[in-house]
Amino acid sequence: MSMSSAELTKKEVAAKSPNVKKNKGFSTFKQYYVGPIIAFAIFISLWQFIPMALSIEHYILPKPTDVIEASIKDWTLLSAAIQITIAESVTGFLLSALVGISLSVLLASSKILERSIYPYAIVLQSMPVVAVAPIVVIWFGAGYNSIVIISFLIGFFPIISNTLMGLNSVDKNMDELFTLYNASKWQKMWKLRLPSALPYIMTGLKISSTLSIVGAIVGEYVAGIGGGKGGLGYAITVAAIQVKTSYLFACGIAAAVLGIIFYLLVSMFSNFMLRSWHESAMKKEK
Amino acid sequence: MGKDVRDIVTFNHVGKVYNGGTVALNNFHLSIKEGEFISFLGPSGCGKSTALRMSAGLAESTTGEVKVLGESPKDIIQNTNEIGFVFQEANLLPWRNVLDNVLIPLELRGGNKKEHKQNAMRVLEMVGLKDHVKSYPRQLSGGMKMRVSIARALAAKPKILLMDEPFAALDEITRETLQMELLDIWRQENMTVLFVTHNVYEAVFLSSRIAVMAARPGRLSTLIDVELPYPRKLASKTGSEFSSYVELASKSLEKSSDQKELV
Repeated sequence: MSMSSAELTKKEVAAKSPNVKKNKGFSTFKQYYVGPIIAFAIFISLWQFIPMALSIEHYILPKPTDVIEASIKDWTLLSAAIQITIAESVTGFLLSALVGISLSVLLASSKILERSIYPYAIVLQSMPVVAVAPIVVIWFGAGYNSIVIISFLIGFFPIISNTLMGLNSVDKNMDELFTLYNASKWQKMWKLRLPSALPYIMTGLKISSTLSIVGAIVGEYVAGIGGGKGGLGYAITVAAIQVKTSYLFACGIAAAVLGIIFYLLVSMFSNFMLRSWHESAMKKEK
Repeated sequence: MGKDVRDIVTFNHVGKVYNGGTVALNNFHLSIKEGEFISFLGPSGCGKSTALRMSAGLAESTTGEVKVLGESPKDIIQNTNEIGFVFQEANLLPWRNVLDNVLIPLELRGGNKKEHKQNAMRVLEMVGLKDHVKSYPRQLSGGMKMRVSIARALAAKPKILLMDEPFAALDEITRETLQMELLDIWRQENMTVLFVTHNVYEAVFLSSRIAVMAARPGRLSTLIDVELPYPRKLASKTGSEFSSYVELASKSLEKSSDQKELV
C-alpha cells in the first residue's frame, strides 16, 4: 500500500517555495513597523518642542531630554529600584503561575470542588487590591514579602480563570477516545486536558506577567521601605513628594519598559511551548 | 459462513430514549457474527450512530441489552483491547506527532514501550504512513489524518472495529482509495467491522451484510446479504450485480422513509 501522490503534505509544498518568503521580509517590515516608528518620532518631537514653545517648567512637564538627563544623573538609584521591582514581580508572577495552575488542576479534577471553591476566588478577585494591601502589610510586615504577595494576588486570577476554562473545554470526541481506552481520571488530566489547556494557560500567563509588575508597584506604594530596599513604586512616591518630576517620569517609563519586556519574554516562552502545533504560535504559511 | 461461527456483537431488543422523549432507537434486534463486515445504512436520525456507540460502551441502552463477546461493552473496554473505534473526524491530538497519536491507546493501557512502538510502526506501515511518523496532524491532508485515525484504532489489535461515518468528510478519490485499503486490512487482520454510513454505494461496496435502518423512531428496517465475492476492486462497482445490490439497498431505504411519513 503506498501513498497516493495526491496526498502531499503541506510541509513539502511549503519547502518548494522558499524564495517567495525572502521578498516578503522587507514588505512586512514596511507594512508593520514603519508606521509605528514614524508615529513614535512625531510624538517624541512634539513632547520635546511643545514645553519649549510654551515655556512650561520642567517640574510640571519635563521634556524627553530632561527625563534622560535625570535617569543618567540618578542611574544608581534608578537601576537599584528597577532590580528590586524585577525581583518582586518575578517572584509574585512565579507564585501566581504555580498556585494558579495547580489550584486549577485540583478544581478541574472535581466538579464539587470547583463549584465550592471557585466562587471565592472570584470574590477575592473583586476586592480592590488597594483595600487588601494594608491587611497584607499587617500580616506580613512592610517590605519584600508583602509586596510579593500583593503582586501574586493581582496576577493569580487571570491564570486560574484561563486555566480552568482550558481544562473544561476539552473536545468531547477526544474525551470519548480516552474513555474507550479506559484512561484514568489522572491520565486524562495529564495526557489530554492539560495539553489542550496549554494555549489558555499561556494567555493567562501573558496577562498576569504585566499585572505582576502593576502589583509590585502598587505593593511598594503601600508596603515599600526605603534604605536602598525600595523599588520603582517606592521611588515614584518619594520623587512625587520631592517634586522631582523628571525622575518620576523616568521611573514610570522604566516600569512600562519592564512590563513590555516581561510580556515579550512570556510570549516567547508561549511560542516555544506551542510552536509545533497551535495556530497562534505558527508562522503563516501562505 | 458456517453456523458454528460465534456471535460477536448482539443487540437484544435494544431501545434508546433520550431525556427529552425522543426515541433514538426502537426494538433493535440484531446479531453480528465474527468476521462480518456489516454496514448500518440509513438517513440521519435513524439511530445508526447510537447503535454503534452503544456497542462501544459510549452510550447506554434504555431497554434491552447490548453484548460484545458475551459481556457488557463497558466491561470489554475496561478490561480488553477488543474494540477499536474510528470517529467521523480524525480526532487526533494536535500536540502529538503521527507516531505518538497512534501510541495513545497502547500508552493508556500501560506495558512495554518498545513493544508498543513496534505495534504502532506495524499499523502505520499498514496504512502507508511509515514515512510520516514525525509529522504533526496540521501538516497532513484530510485523508492522511483519517489513515492515522484508523492506524490508532488498529494499534491495539482489536477483534472488532467500529467506524462511525469515517469517510464522510473526505473527497471521492481519497474515499475510494481508503475503502479498498480498509477491505484489505479487514481481511488481513481477521476483524469484524461495524460500519456506519449514509452512502448506499459505500455500504454495498464494503459490506458482507447491510442493516438498512429507518428514522423516527430509529429502527432496523431490512437486512441485505451482499454476496459479491472478495477481494472487491473498483471494477466491481461497474458490474451489473453491484448495481442490482445498490438498487435493492436504495429501494429498502426508500421504503423505510415512506414508513417514516406514516408514523
